[in-house]
Amino acid sequence: MFLTRSEYDRGVNTFSPEGRLFQVEYAIEAIKLGSTTVGIRTPEGVVLAVEKRVQSPLLESSSIEKIMEIDAHLGCAMSGLTADARTMIDHARVTAQNHAFTYDERIKVESVTQAVCDLALRFGESVHDEEAMMSRPFGVALLIAGIDELGPQLFHTDPSGTFVRYDAKAIGSGSEAAQSELQDKWHKQMTLREAQVLTLRVLKQVMEEKLDQHNVQLAQVTPAKGFEILDETRLKEVIEVM
Amino acid sequence: MSIMEYNGGSVIAMVGKDCVAIASDLRLGNQALGISSNFQKIFPVTDRIYLGLPGLATDVTTLRERFRFRVNMYTIKEEREIEPETFAHLVSSTLYEHRFGPYFIEPVMAGLSKTPTGGVKPFIAATDLIGCLNFAKDFVVAGTASSKLYGVAEGLWEPDLEPEDLFETISQTLLNAVDRDAFSGWGCIVHVITKDKVVTRTLKGRMD
Amino acid sequence: MYQESKKRERTPGSWCGRGMVTVEARFSKGAKARSNGTGSEFPRMPAMISLAQPQQRQFNPYSENGGTILAVAGADFSVIAGDTRQSEGYSIQTRYAPKVFRLTDKAVLAVNGFAADGNMFVKKVRQRLEWYRHAHAKDMPLRAIARLIQTMLYARRFFPFYVYNILGGIEDDGTGAVYSFDPVGSYEREACRAAGAAQSLVQPFLDNQIYFKNQTPAPGTSHPVHLPLSTVLSLVIDSFTSATERHIEVGDGLEMYVVLAKGSTALQSIVSVRGIQEMTTTEDGERVFVIRRELKKD
Repeated sequence: MFLTRSEYDRGVNTFSPEGRLFQVEYAIEAIKLGSTTVGIRTPEGVVLAVEKRVQSPLLESSSIEKIMEIDAHLGCAMSGLTADARTMIDHARVTAQNHAFTYDERIKVESVTQAVCDLALRFGESVHDEEAMMSRPFGVALLIAGIDELGPQLFHTDPSGTFVRYDAKAIGSGSEAAQSELQDKWHKQMTLREAQVLTLRVLKQVMEEKLDQHNVQLAQVTPAKGFEILDETRLKEVIEVM
Repeated sequence: MSIMEYNGGSVIAMVGKDCVAIASDLRLGNQALGISSNFQKIFPVTDRIYLGLPGLATDVTTLRERFRFRVNMYTIKEEREIEPETFAHLVSSTLYEHRFGPYFIEPVMAGLSKTPTGGVKPFIAATDLIGCLNFAKDFVVAGTASSKLYGVAEGLWEPDLEPEDLFETISQTLLNAVDRDAFSGWGCIVHVITKDKVVTRTLKGRMD
Repeated sequence: MYQESKKRERTPGSWCGRGMVTVEARFSKGAKARSNGTGSEFPRMPAMISLAQPQQRQFNPYSENGGTILAVAGADFSVIAGDTRQSEGYSIQTRYAPKVFRLTDKAVLAVNGFAADGNMFVKKVRQRLEWYRHAHAKDMPLRAIARLIQTMLYARRFFPFYVYNILGGIEDDGTGAVYSFDPVGSYEREACRAAGAAQSLVQPFLDNQIYFKNQTPAPGTSHPVHLPLSTVLSLVIDSFTSATERHIEVGDGLEMYVVLAKGSTALQSIVSVRGIQEMTTTEDGERVFVIRRELKKD
């Protein structure tokens, strides 16, 4: 088994005899090393929450950025090799802006997710003798949250370029426990506040450190205010409610 | 740029029931620059004939004097007032005299001619700048807003309008046409000629 | 379409096309007796080289095919109309060349100017609408089409589509809308617009009858903001008969597209219109109708 693997796990664009792309599978594995990230969709909007691993007391926790804005109505949380996410989010932002420029309307959540996933499979792609733009699959998974004419939506993307819509989704190291907790607690008529509290509760369960306003980040997308990252005072307030 | 558009300005005349109307804008310009908002382009020829002279302003003045002279000579020689039809031909021949160095004016005239039974018959006519006559039965237009005047007049005019309705029709036609013309506007003047009287009204318009 | 011009340089001593002094010039210097350079008194055949002249050819990629288009927006409907004459110079190429096209169930586009560019432009817009439908799983909203048209026109800023576009239809909020464009993509949403050969004839008439310009309402009353469909249709027909009367490039036929919003009350007033034809298949969404009329053919 190991031998068969080692022969086929090097090339990013070579299938194994069993029909697998090992590099892509390893990339998906890499996400499981990332910090836990949770997203919940409610009729009032979508909530995203991430754990920030503060490895040193000397580290400025505010400089860890794991939730980013794509457009006024779109947000994104990540887990895995977060540096890779910059390329993807950059692409998502350009796509969203181009859409607004060309069509004078906000891009749909699914469309921007599709655009990001189109990029995910561009590794190993080269023209003639030119150097390929990307040498390996992205090592990051995204939770893309947004609101469009179809209402609040939450999408999950992985390095294989697959995307799926979720009501609630957890990714990263604590995702298994977190996901089963979400399955228990999520319900259709959840309020935004309930969702905020639930994301933090789920994170709290899987985090090693004690949860406080420095080691988590909370963001939401609402019809009224669009995407916003909750500042420390508002975050604190949610933590207290929890 | 065309010399016909150097000073700007437009004139229109319409036929009604036993009445005619003639109207013009009041702008005098120097290309895009507005000079005067009180520039007369329509002149009485007799009690029942009015003449509009849109075109190059210097020729407006010259032709007005020329026609005054010629009409006076006619009146003295013939010992009667000139009829509109005759006057139209006078205008035509005067302009054609300058066939190869024309006055840059496209005259429009409106009047009431006498019928053998003692009544009146509406008369309007216009010519190009070398005197080619156009006797229309409905309306005639000239000036920088002529194409706009044609469009609106074609949509608004109807036969046998009473003097008050004719006034409204010609006023609306002129105002709306000159509002879409950069070289015409700055107020309007309308003359409605009937058997007994001539009613002259100045209209406020957009001043831009 | 092809123009050809030849410039013949006849001055002795000037440079001919290949950068050489002409034969006549060379011999005439200091050899007056042998003025033709052959030594004989007979006229000489001009040397071949002296025939080499600079030539300039040019292709004019544009022409102007006349016609007029017009659109009016109502509260919950929109009327987009155009005549069907296509001309070049003083010749009529065809008496039936549509200038108004249904794009979607809620958008109709009228194109006027250079017919070849117009037809190609509509084709390209339709292609983009289909791509959009595949990418985003919905019909493109009217304002998005308007913006798309701007970007498509501006993309050709330095070799423009020689067309004036008017887009009419129903906005996402259910209101009737008209967007007008210049050939390089400047655009604006309006209540009414005329374009093309008879724009100058029709637009001031519309100003007066639709915007009630230069009209003061009777004391205690006010002008309606939106006109009923029957009034709009009469005004459109009047506009085109007037334009046909006074403009040689307008005439032959008139096509009026009517787009009704979902559940528009204008439906009752339209079904009885003579010769009306429905272009849409569903009755639950926006509905598009076309009304055809004859115009004078002289």
